[in-house]
Order: sequence, then C-alpha cells, then structure tokens
Amino acid sequence: MKGDATANPDTDVTWEVKANNRHFHKHQRRQSFLCFHWGRYGDNVVRSFKYSPLTFLPLTLYEQFQRAANLYFLLVVVMQCVPVISSIPWYTTIIPLFIVLSVRGVKDLANDLARRRSDSQINRRSCDVLISQSFSPSQWKDVCVGDVLRIHKDQIIPADLLLLCSSEPHSLCYVETMDIDGETNLKYRQALAATHTEMTSNPTEQTLAAFDGTVFCEEPNNRLYTFRGELHWRGECHHLDSEHILLRGTVLRNTDAVYGVAVYTGSDTKILRNVGRHRVKMTHIEKLLNNVVIGIVLFLLLVALLLAVGSGVFRRSVVPQMEFLSVITSVNSPEYTAFLTFWSYVILLSPAMPMSLYITFEMIHVVHSLFIGWDVEMRGGEDNSIPAQARNTSLNEELGQVGHLLSDKTGTLTQNHLLFRQCCIAGEIYGDTSVSAEESETLDLSWNPFSCGGLHLSDQRLVDRLRGQRCPDSKQFLTALTLCHTVMTEWREGALVYQAASPDEEALVGAARELGWVFLSRTRDSLTINELGLQRHYHLLTILDFTSQRRRMSVLVREPEGGLKLYCKGADIVILERLQKDCPHLESTERALDLFAQSSLRTLCIAERSVPEAKWKEWCKTLHQTVVLTTHDREDILEQLYDDMERDLKLLGVTAIEDRLQDGVPQTITMLRQAGLKVWMLTGDKKETAVNIGYSCKLLDPDTRLLEGEELRQLLRAPDEEVTFSQSSVTGLWCVEMELARDRSALVLTGPELAEFNSRPEWGSRFMSLAGLCQSVLCCRVTPGQKADVVALIRKHTSSITMAVGDGANDVNMIKTAHIGVGLAGVEGGQAVLNADYSLAQFSFLQRLLLVHGRWSYRRIAVFLRYFLYKTSSFALVHIWFGFFNGFSAQTLYENWFIILYTVVYTATPVQCLAIFEQDVGVEGSLRWPDLYKAGQRQELFNPFLLAFTLLYAVYTSLVLFFVPLGVFHNSALDYQTMSVTVNIASVLSATTEIVLLTGHWTKWNVLAVCVSMSMYIVCTLITQSRKLFEMSPVDYYFPGVAQNAFASPVVWLTALLTAWTAVLPSFTVHALNIILTKPGRHRVHSIKRGAVELQQSGFRRGDSHRRSSYAMSQSRGIGHLITSGASFRSTAPPVDRRCT
Amino acid sequence: MPKKELETANRPDNTAFTQQRLPAWQPILSAGIVIPGFVLIGLAFIGIGVALFLTSRNITVLEMDYTGVETTSDCYKCSAGTLPNCVCNLYFTLNETFPGTVYFYYGLSNYFQSYRKFGASRDDNQLSGDTYYFTSPLAVCTPYQYDVNNNPIVPCGISANSMFNDTFNLYQLVNGSKTVPLDGRGIAWWSDYNIKFRNPTSDPLRNAFNGTVKPPFWSKPVFELDLTDKSNNGFLNQDFLVWMRRAALPNFRKLYRRITGPDYASGLPPGNYTIEIAYNYPVMSFNGRKKVVLSNVSWMGGKNDFLGVAYLVVGSLCIVMSMVMLIVYAKFKFPDDV
Repeated sequence: MKGDATANPDTDVTWEVKANNRHFHKHQRRQSFLCFHWGRYGDNVVRSFKYSPLTFLPLTLYEQFQRAANLYFLLVVVMQCVPVISSIPWYTTIIPLFIVLSVRGVKDLANDLARRRSDSQINRRSCDVLISQSFSPSQWKDVCVGDVLRIHKDQIIPADLLLLCSSEPHSLCYVETMDIDGETNLKYRQALAATHTEMTSNPTEQTLAAFDGTVFCEEPNNRLYTFRGELHWRGECHHLDSEHILLRGTVLRNTDAVYGVAVYTGSDTKILRNVGRHRVKMTHIEKLLNNVVIGIVLFLLLVALLLAVGSGVFRRSVVPQMEFLSVITSVNSPEYTAFLTFWSYVILLSPAMPMSLYITFEMIHVVHSLFIGWDVEMRGGEDNSIPAQARNTSLNEELGQVGHLLSDKTGTLTQNHLLFRQCCIAGEIYGDTSVSAEESETLDLSWNPFSCGGLHLSDQRLVDRLRGQRCPDSKQFLTALTLCHTVMTEWREGALVYQAASPDEEALVGAARELGWVFLSRTRDSLTINELGLQRHYHLLTILDFTSQRRRMSVLVREPEGGLKLYCKGADIVILERLQKDCPHLESTERALDLFAQSSLRTLCIAERSVPEAKWKEWCKTLHQTVVLTTHDREDILEQLYDDMERDLKLLGVTAIEDRLQDGVPQTITMLRQAGLKVWMLTGDKKETAVNIGYSCKLLDPDTRLLEGEELRQLLRAPDEEVTFSQSSVTGLWCVEMELARDRSALVLTGPELAEFNSRPEWGSRFMSLAGLCQSVLCCRVTPGQKADVVALIRKHTSSITMAVGDGANDVNMIKTAHIGVGLAGVEGGQAVLNADYSLAQFSFLQRLLLVHGRWSYRRIAVFLRYFLYKTSSFALVHIWFGFFNGFSAQTLYENWFIILYTVVYTATPVQCLAIFEQDVGVEGSLRWPDLYKAGQRQELFNPFLLAFTLLYAVYTSLVLFFVPLGVFHNSALDYQTMSVTVNIASVLSATTEIVLLTGHWTKWNVLAVCVSMSMYIVCTLITQSRKLFEMSPVDYYFPGVAQNAFASPVVWLTALLTAWTAVLPSFTVHALNIILTKPGRHRVHSIKRGAVELQQSGFRRGDSHRRSSYAMSQSRGIGHLITSGASFRSTAPPVDRRCT
Repeated sequence: MPKKELETANRPDNTAFTQQRLPAWQPILSAGIVIPGFVLIGLAFIGIGVALFLTSRNITVLEMDYTGVETTSDCYKCSAGTLPNCVCNLYFTLNETFPGTVYFYYGLSNYFQSYRKFGASRDDNQLSGDTYYFTSPLAVCTPYQYDVNNNPIVPCGISANSMFNDTFNLYQLVNGSKTVPLDGRGIAWWSDYNIKFRNPTSDPLRNAFNGTVKPPFWSKPVFELDLTDKSNNGFLNQDFLVWMRRAALPNFRKLYRRITGPDYASGLPPGNYTIEIAYNYPVMSFNGRKKVVLSNVSWMGGKNDFLGVAYLVVGSLCIVMSMVMLIVYAKFKFPDDV
C-alpha cells in the first residue's frame, strides 16, 4: 500500500511525500549550518534575507572589500599605523574608512531587516492545518510536506498542494494565477476522482486524517505549467498532472473550501523556485570606477616602486657622500630605505584616490534618491499619496543609461480592467472613444433595477432603441451577449456577481446587464435571463466551446417560444467567413471593425442563426456518435461537426472592448522609444492579448510587421545574419522589405520557443542581433523564470543597461535580474515593490524617472567622478615630481593639514553642489527632447577614454603645479614652506577654476559653495598656521606664520596665479572650442529637429490584417465542457479518471 | 483641480529645492564672449609679464662661487677640508654703484635640505623652548638624539647638526681695507623669531642646557652662538633660524646679512672689495657648490626672470589660442567661404 521501490517504476519521480505523516518528513528535514545544507524536505518559511547575526559582519565586510578602493584604503591604513613609514598621520584614513564601511553596512542591514519583516509577514499568514483529526489554524511557516490543509475562498495558497477534494461538485475549484503568470482569468483545477469520491462521500476530518496516500513526483523545479507525479493509494496508482496541483501564491476563487496535501513547501515551491537569487547590484559607472581605481592604484604602486628604486639608488650613491646625511647610513641599508620609501610613497600618493570620493559618491546617491521621492510630479495613487521611492539608493546614475526597458503587461501597462466601450449593431456604431472612459457621461440607468454602474458606453440612442423595442437587431445582439458565454453567477450580499473565466466575457455580460439584458443564472441545461424586466428561460442545448484554433464559441439554445437559435461570437476573421450570403450591413460593420482597431479596441463579432429542428436532431445524433469515439481523429470530426453548425450566420454586430491602459502609457512608451530605449513586453498572458496591448500602447506601430513562430525560427536557424536575409527571402516575403523597414518589425516570442534557446545556445546571440534590428520584442506565455532569462539574455549579449518594470510576484525574478528593477506600487500586492530598486505609482512616471532624474543623475555623477579624480590626482601626483628634488625621500610638499582638508573642505562643496543642482537642460527641456537621453546610453560622459583623458589632464596639472613654482623657487631664498603654500594656493585655485568651468547651472548655493570653499582655504590655513595652535602642539602645527608671510608676498600670489591658469588652460581651451563649435542656441537646434512629442495618429490605410480581434479565454480551451457535462453543478456523475496500469 | 493643487502645494516637501526648481543662472557663452575673453586674459598676462620682467631686469645681482674647485681660486686650499680654521678671500670689483640696500646671501647647490630625513629630524618642541624635550628629544632626531654617552643632544637632529658655519666679512679696498658693516638683525622671519623658536626661560641661558650636549658637528653649544647679543643667542640666533628654515629645492640661497651701514645704506659704491671667508663647511664630497650672492631687492623680492618670462609666454599663448579660435570659428561659421 505504501509506495515502495516496486511501486515506483518511473525513476524520475523521486520526490516522495507521505500524506499525514509528519514523522516521516521530519526525519529528513532540511537543515543548514553556515553554508552546509543537508536533509531533503524544506520547511515552508520564506527566507529572502541575506544576513544572520552571525554572518552579517563577515558577509558585509566581504562584500565591501570586493571594491578595490576599500582594500586599498585598508592597506593605506595599515601602513599609516607603522611609524617608520607613515608620512602623514594615521587618523587621516582610518576614520573615513570606518565611516564608509559602517554607512554601507548599516544601509545593507536596514534593507535586510526590511526583507526580514516582509518575510515574517508572509510566514505568519494563517491557514488551517489538519493536526490530529481536526483543523487548527496555524501559520504558513509551520506547514510541512505531507500536511493536509484546508483553504477557504479568497485565501492565498501557502504551498504547492495536491488537490484532494473541494466543496464544489466533482471537486472542481477555481484559482486566480495573476501573481504567477499575470493572467487575469480564473483557471479551474480538479481533484482525482478517487480522492474526490472518498473524501466527499464522507467529508469529515476523520477521512482526511485517515488519508495515507503517497505522492511520487518530480524533484522540485521551476516549471510552472507542468507537473508529473503519481499518487499511490490503496494499492492503486493514479497519474497526476498540473491540473491537480494548486500552486503557492495562487488565490482560491469561487470555491468555498478545498483540501489538499502539501507536496512542495517553502523554497521548493514552483513560484519560489522562480523567484531567483537576490544579488547585489552595481552600476556600470561603479564597475568602471572600480576598474579605474584598480588602474590608479596599480599605477600608484608602480610609481611608488620606481620612486623607491630611485630612493635606494640615491641612498646608496649620494647620501653617503653628504656628511650631514651620511649618519643615516648607519641606521638603514639602501634596500631597507627603498622598502620603507615604497610604503611611504604609497601613503603619500594615496590622496589621489581618497576615501571622501566614496563618501561623497554615496551622499550624492542619497540626495538623488531623495529628489526622486520628493518629486510631486511622481506622486500617484489616490490623493497623490504614493510617492516614488528609490529603495536602492546606489543605482541612480544608471537610470540615465537604460537601453532596454522590459515591462510586464498586466497591471503595469494595463489596468487589468476591461471596459465595454463601443459596439456596432446593424452597421451603426454606438459609443464614442474620443472621450476617455472617465470623462464619458454616465447614462441614466435608474430604470434598470439590476444596474450597478460601470458602463462606459454612453450612447443614449442605444438605450432608447432598446427600451423602445424599435430595433430587433439590437435586441438580438444583447440576447446573444447574455446567452453566449460561460459565465457563472453568484449572489453576494444581495448583488448579482459574475464569475468569468475570462475578463472579456465578464465585461460583455456586465455591459448587457447594464443595458437591461440581465443574465440571472444557469444550470446544466438552462439559462435564465431578464430582458427589460421580463424573465425568460432558455433551454441550453449545447455549447460549442472556444479553442485557440477555432477562435469562436457558440451556444445552441431553445427559446421560450420554442425556436432553436445558435448564438456565436468570435474573432472577426472566423465569423465573417461563416456569414450567410449577402448579409446586410457587412460593409459598414467592416468599417466599424477598422475604426475600432484604430482605437486599439478588442473586437468580437456577434452572430446568430436560426436552426431548423430537423437539422438539430440530425446534428445531435452525429455528435453523440462522435463523442464516444476513441480514435485519434475524434477531434477533427468534432471540429467539422461544429463547423457544420456554425455556418450561414447572420451578423448582429461587433463589440469593442477597451483593455484599459494605465494613464499615459502610450505617450510614455512613445517618448521612451524616441529616447532610444528598446521597450520589450514580457507577459505570462497569451499572444493575442499581448499583441493587442502592444499595438494599443504604441509599442508597435500600426504597420509593424510581426515576426513570430516558424518564421522567427527560420531566421534563428540561419547560420549568420547575411544569410538570414537572403535565405528567408526564399521562404517569406517580408525579408526584402526587412532591409528597408527594419524598424518596422517586431518579434513575438512565446515561452516554449524561449525554452528551446536552452538547447541551442547559438540562438541567443542571433535572436539578440535580430532584436536589435526590430523595434520591439513581445514575449508571451513566459514564466517568471523565463522573464529573468530574457533579461539575462540581453545582459549577456549586449552591453546595454536593462530595466525591468513589473508589479506582481511573477515579475520579481526579472526585477532582481535586471540592472534596475522597478516595482509598481499598485494593486497586485507588494512583492514586486519589495524586491525592486525603485517603486513608482504609475508606469508613466518612468519618463520622468528616466528622462529627468536619471539623465540628470548620470550627468551629475559622471561629471562629479571625473572632476573628483582630476582634483585629487592632480594634487597628489605632485609628489612624484617633487621626489626628483628631494632624493626620492617621500618628503611631502604639503602641510599635513592641507592634505587632510584639501578634499574635504577646500574643494568639496562646489563639486557637491554641482552633483546636486546641475541641470544642463531643465525638466521641460528634458521631456521635450528625449534625444538628449541617448548620451547616457552611449556612455558619452563617463567612459574609459574620457577617464584616461581626465587622468592625463590630472598628470599635466600636477606637472604644472610643481614645475612652474619650481622655476620661481629655484635658486632663490624662498623656503620650502612658502613653496608649499604657493603650490597649495595654486592647486585650490585650479581645482576651483575647473569646477567653475564645469558648472553650467548656477544656483545661489553653487556661488556660495565656491566662495565659501575658497575663503575656507584662507581661513583654515591661517588657523592651522596660527600661533595658538603651534604653541599647543608644535609638532602637529609646524607651519606657524607661513601663511601670513606668504599671503603678504606678491611673488607667491603671482606664481600661484600663473600656475593655476597654466594648469587649467587646456580645459579652458577645450571648453572655449566647444562653445565655438556648437551652433549658437543649441537648445533651439533640438526644437528644429523635433517638436514636442506627438502621438502618431494612424490613418485609415490599414486593411483587415491589422484588425485585432481577441477572444481572451484561457489559453487552450474554454470551460464550456464542464458546464455541459454538468461538472460545475451538483447533480451528475463524476468524470472518469485515467488510471495507470 | 485647484483643490488638488492647493493640497500638493501645502505638502511640506514641495519647495523649490526638493522640486529642483531653484532659481539659477545658466551662463550662455558664445564665441563673441569667449574669444575676446581669451584676448583680454592674454593681454593681462602679458601686461603682468612685462611689469615683472622689467622689475626683474632692474635688480642687480652679483653671484660668486667660492667652493674652490678651480686651483686658481683662493679657496682651493680650503676645499680639501684638511686645514682647520681655513680662511680664504674672494675679490670682486664693482664698476658702478650697486644700488639700494644690498642683501648678502650665501648659496648652496646640490644640497638636499629637502631630503625627508633632513626635515623630519628636528624637534620643534625642543626648539620652542620646552625643556622637557631637552632631556628626552623626540625619536625623529635619531641618530642625533643622544650622543654615545646617552646624553641628549640639544638642538637635536640632522637639521640643526648640519648648520652652515662659514662666516663672511666684507671689506671695501680703499686705502687699505675698510670693513663694510653687515647687519645680521631681521634676517629671519618674524614668526620664527617670535613664535616658532623660543629660548628656555632661565637666566643665565646655559643653565637650561645642563646635562645636554651640543650637536656633534658644532664647534660651540647653542647658548654660545652669539655671546655679544642676548637676543641673538640660543635658539633665537638668526643665522640658526635662517638655516632651520628649510629650502624646498637642492639649489637655494639663504640670507646672511644686509648691508645697512651708514656709508652703504644706498648701495655699494664702485671699487674693489674682498670677502673674507672662514671656510668650514664641506661640500666637495657631494659635488656641492657654495656661493655668495649680493643682490638688491624690489617689491617682488629678489631677481626672478623666470616669472616674468613665464607670464609673457602664457599670455602670448592665450593670444595665439584666441587667433586659432577665431580661425576655427570663421571656418565653422562660414564653411562655404573656405
């Protein structure tokens, strides 16, 4: 009875779960200590956090010391603690280093604690677990593999469950999988007949407690749509597939309660397997900076080495001859001197890469993040109460470089809200989409007791015609809407609630209700409706169900009057070809279809047919014969049979449904595309819907050619790009145009196709190069894991920055994988936001986030970093040149206090102001000229070339800073300390001049900062060289009176002025040439090139092929068979299970 | 709508700063500003350069090497360093008056006062008169911290030990030799004399130095540097102060005396002069040079051609640059005219 080796012939299904047997599983509980794990079955606890009290310190230090700079600083600190080497005091480095490490650490810790909180919130959710014969409420985290759980309506499923039975007939239940695949329709799941009969015949807790089946299934995996397993129970073996499984994260709907056995828990569940790892994100700029830091450090070490060699040579050959120095020879050998000098120079040159760079960098990031949060234009939600939020404060500059935007569909682009906006009945169009749904005036529907609002089709004519019974077509049209569907009804708190597998159907039936045709209830073979107050019963004869091939559904009903009617709705292409000859209003209806398509509405054609009694009888007989057939061609025969019934239709009209987009989505996407971003849509939803939304949100242009399916596969199969075009020109017709109209194509990829990429790695690069030519890519029916794979694909094959936008748990993985993850703080719960780097209230705020904040951030940070490296290197490298004039003895040219204060006080505030306030173009300009954004994508402001240039410039400046004063001081009576002050003045002057040149946006703070930092130099110098401080500590303040002396000397000032001017002359020249070479009024140039962003209005040129009809049912087939088989009603026999032998 | 605006306007964080709408000035520069700007700056630099150059030209300098490398030199005999208390003479003739107050410098070349150990090897505490450090000088003074008998050296360190100890007397050769009085006061910095260097407060001064020894290279202890003038003795000896003010570069001058005597206040009259040098300081071993330099000064200090020339060069460079810009601008602006 229990599963043993013989009962388990399939070697794949090795995951063994024994129901109601906690003891068995506890035995193999997964446990871990540090990084060692053992055991098999995990608990049901989510752990998205990274640190434990024990591991925090080592982990955070490990992470932080991956930055080259931190390691270098540590080295310098250690060196400075050795007195023989130390040329500047130890506290100059250790305090900033401590600050840097602790600030970062605290930030990471805070983020981790937030994750812990949200985890524990999830882990504490309650559910009912069967413990010793009774259900007791317990928390999610206590659920074990093998536990029997009871889930109530609208509860979230806590683990992957095997459905045992439900409160509904045949143990059906409905689940909403929005959080998993982004689909909004309900899906049904059904228990095995075996368990169903046993459990429901005597639905007590005892029977459930006595359930002792064993489930053998696959090891935990991330395939959401498949499940393979067997249930071994009472000596029998039942096959299990995904229809029997309730996945964690789905929501139970329309079902009072279900009972199930937990098969996978916690991190083994399919959704958590899809979540992906949390990774520390680092921006491109930071990575480049890291490399530059490594480069600079290596350079400094090399220079220090050369200088040390010099010092050794000097010490060996020159020093012994100098009586006054020769005593040193008795202390150190030349080699030892060189060794010490090396480290001294390492310390001496270390200010070229100061810690304050990182502190300021971090601070600027925080300020930029605050700006994002403060922006009132990015507040959304009701009452503008949801501000944009930068949850990860270190990615701001990358917002200005995004090349690929990957967006979820449901809830991100669309509101997940379908509205019946227009219809065309008998060639006449009702409703108007030129006004938005909110602004359309609501009709007075007070005459209708069933009305509960929500109709966005405001056309009084239609209501008048319906109520006046003047138009039989419109009456038929509404009757068709009321009868032809698979919606269920439910009375909740006195109101009629529709439960539909497809939101389209719900919208249609709901709209009919508002107009007076109310669908009241259904049984297995009847439909009750209320037509303008008149109750009518229709006998439901059969449902010709929806499939993705048929793209239509029909119902055959017997009217109360006795006649037989077939009502059919479906995609325009399939309906139009089944119409009777010379059907009236055909032309005007087609025009209406075009019109609807232009407004990006989803259309359905509605048609009817009167069926003669004899025809029905004969058809019915054939049907019964066919149904019992077991041959392979049963489906084909059925198809033909259906086809036979659905002909000679009479067209009633067309419905047009608007899948509401979020506010401003088309404008945003248009603007982002102008800004050079590739916008991709990744959705778990099906292709038709995705494509439809793609058109309506301007992701695709009306004349965009879609590449999909076999065509795409052929392109990918071609060996290289050249051949791609020639080869496929044989197979297809589009490729010739492709050369011309590259940007007019889009790729449509589905999940299964994407899965093929795994086995053909070469497709990835080919796909990416193809995608680079196309204007967009739509990925449909992809799992959360695949969404992340797509992101990873882009990251692998291009260097562009990816940004993922989503709002649901199914987007979490992609959000984590992308360079930047954006979560929409919306309806679908907080999972996306919790894992995102930025959270926004609306998709449309992206344009502000990217084009304004991101662009500015990129610009500011790029200029900031370049300037910072310039000013610190130029001032520190002077010591190299000075080395030639002091016997390479690591003598500083500066007073210690100047070294400490130079970066933090004398030259800090102006560049900070620049990094906070700089705007090359204001908000309006940034949004008006999206082209400006491309600078970031091309990395125009911060790239290796520019950095090398900056560093060369710094070397030049350091040369000037030393050698111009050298010329003046050579052979003169001026002393070392005066020279030191002279070079100080010159370096402060040149650094300040440089920042003045770079600042293009002068607020009062910039002016103040420049003035203050300059005067701070004078003041601080006078203070540190004052009599008082010297008398307090002669050794620490060993420059008394130098400043007074030097500041009074014209030669010092003249030298400093000359030095500073010579140092910045190249920069001045480059700026001047830039100004000269830029056409006058550069802002106007842009406006000539492109005016304000306008939404392209499509003309009337589209033909049938551009019409987009959609029948948004579940992906494979409708649930009509459940209705007609009576499965959803409490009366009939159970369906037959497949049993394995 | 107005209500909503009012509400958002009332939010505490809706300020010009948080909304990044601070009033700001964006300088719009054009070729019309940039090119004349360059010309102006260039002209200004040329102006300064001319002024500096002319000033520098007007400064008279007389520089004489007395190291004694050449055998013809009178100091050749001393340069070997074998004769104790060697005295040599340096003759020179002035054909015209050496105008202004003449400053007397000594100069050293190839002398690394800038060597780190040299600068570091001193105890500023000691030199500021803190007697605690008389008994235990700072370790940086090594190897001149303690002598072989473990007595503390005051003033300790390489800097003090290597003090320049040649002395000079200037004579005008008219009817025999007439001493030109050299004024050794006021040659050190005011701040050194009044702040940085302090004698210990004890009377007589030597009491403070009990238990200490003089630097090994010195002939007499620091409290006997100038027994004639109390205010020029000990750590306040101005020659000592001048020496202790380090030079930045291996070639340097240090002020030795000013010639302010009544007959010479307005300059040295033409005639023959001799400088009597007590040659003590060895430089030959490291190929160093010793010089005496007589110079008058201007507002810009001593003679310095470099600064003026550099200003002229940079100024001209700016002018040239502006020309280039003008050409570039013309070609860019009117490409058809090319």
